[in-house]
Amino acid sequence: MRQVRIAAMLLTLVLTGFSPAGADEPATAKSSARVALNVSIAVFDPGVPDDQSQFRDLKIFPRIRQVEARFLPFVLRDTLANSHDWGAVRVVPEPDIAAELLVTGTILRSDGAVLALKIRAVDAGGHVWLDKAFSGPVADTRAVADKSGIQQPVFAQVAVELEAAQRQRDAAELRRISDISLIRYGNRLAPSAFGQYLNEGSDGTFSLKRLPAANDPMLERIQRIRGVEYIFTDAVDTKFRELNSEIASIYALWREHRRKSLEYEKEDARWAATSTDNLERGSYESIQNIYDNYKFHRITQQEQDKLAIAFNNEVGPKVDAMEQRIAELEFWVEQRYIEWHRLLEQLFEAETQIEQ
Amino acid sequence: MLRISVILTVTLCVCACTTAPVIKEEMRYFDGPLPSDLSGSWERNYARDDDVNAVLREAYYQLSRTSQDQYYNGNSVMVGPSSNDMASVVALARLAELITRPDVLTITQDEHEISIEREDDFAMLCSFYNGATKANQSPYGNEVCGWDGKDLVSNLVLPDGLQVTHRFTKSDDGQQLRVITTVTSKTSRLPFSLRRFYKKFEHLPSSFECIETLSMKRVCSTSEVKP
Repeated sequence: MRQVRIAAMLLTLVLTGFSPAGADEPATAKSSARVALNVSIAVFDPGVPDDQSQFRDLKIFPRIRQVEARFLPFVLRDTLANSHDWGAVRVVPEPDIAAELLVTGTILRSDGAVLALKIRAVDAGGHVWLDKAFSGPVADTRAVADKSGIQQPVFAQVAVELEAAQRQRDAAELRRISDISLIRYGNRLAPSAFGQYLNEGSDGTFSLKRLPAANDPMLERIQRIRGVEYIFTDAVDTKFRELNSEIASIYALWREHRRKSLEYEKEDARWAATSTDNLERGSYESIQNIYDNYKFHRITQQEQDKLAIAFNNEVGPKVDAMEQRIAELEFWVEQRYIEWHRLLEQLFEAETQIEQ
Repeated sequence: MLRISVILTVTLCVCACTTAPVIKEEMRYFDGPLPSDLSGSWERNYARDDDVNAVLREAYYQLSRTSQDQYYNGNSVMVGPSSNDMASVVALARLAELITRPDVLTITQDEHEISIEREDDFAMLCSFYNGATKANQSPYGNEVCGWDGKDLVSNLVLPDGLQVTHRFTKSDDGQQLRVITTVTSKTSRLPFSLRRFYKKFEHLPSSFECIETLSMKRVCSTSEVKP
């Protein structure tokens, strides 16, 4: 409710057409200070195949993957934020095409032993910074107290490569990315006003033709609206964080159980390979041993199924409640988008007519 | 007499020596929903069960009729199964008896899976997708099911030619279940089958509602548990 009030207040400010004093300078200051891009990390693709019949073969628990898809971006977020190499690092429910740097990910594998992710990072200019698979061992989750420590090795690799990619770009280039981000954002809401500043290449990249003046009233409105959206993004981010703190310890338990299951599977395999050595073929002991090998393998699988249900029993309602709240926030923002779009287009038309 | 022996030998060989799949291709496909709903709790009806010893005796006679082994019992030359043949069948019988020991079967069923839970054993699993059965494969064995009319047939193929097959037949009134369990092996000339019968029963409503959780294990409440 508080966010709604703040947003309503900001919306009023946006629509008043507030215009600060100042010369018609380009929108970006020519500072040589280090620029740290803002990063938006979209909720990951859970990597669940459409074909349900593959779930068992691939040992995928779809519901848990969905939870992981919301949970793991936060581990990356914390890793990036802790590096202090970036501006604001946010987790967003949907990919934001106007983000200064958008990071998307797909879970390729997640069991108790290994985490494999495909990570793609694209800047607002449409240039790909990173597009590769990362995999690494899962940290021993018995240290559940360190919530951000889970799967740290993989996310540390991602952070290092992203940081290296950022260092390859000079301050001017990073500022340009930031400018393109703002103009693309404006173009989404008021294409009549901002379309003239953008060039879209056939390869999907964007460049700036020129920038609006720093005191351009439309640009100021867009900046204010973006500020409002950030408030909502941060509200969503806070919701995600609340969820994370609630489920981190349960998730750590789940990983621990999965890790143990993998150990049991290895033990089963070792036992099956050696247990028939001294038994007479066709004897009761021999055939019972063959049957038992299968039996224990299946029981191990069943235990995993039960654990998945137990995990979902505990975490599912929390995730559902959070998703509902986020859906409400997103719906509110979507509605405002439509309204902003309409009003901004009308304002631009009115202002252009006055100038003419 | 000789002709009967030859026929029996051929029959036994067909039963035990061929490698024709238990789940034939046509049994793997079906139209619409699953042909039968086996879900529910089933308790053993001992009165109708096969007696293991009686089935074993029958196996002994069958093996005797087809055996080439002869022995002298003091008065005359007798024909009987070899000790190896008998030992192999007894091994299958013991395994069949072990597998069919559970008193209660709990069957859950949805559009994609039938799970048959048994005490002290793994839950048999049948998977169905897009009108066809799907095998559950592993290095330890392959489990595949099929439909023979309204009968569910589960076939577990294990290493060394060992196979365990269950055929589930529900009575017309839906209150009785017959399960024929057959164990075959490459080392035995005869398969071994046991019939078990079950009656449907309803669990008494519990005053507790319980759910499993990871952090608190089993959580029970006197009212409906909201997870």
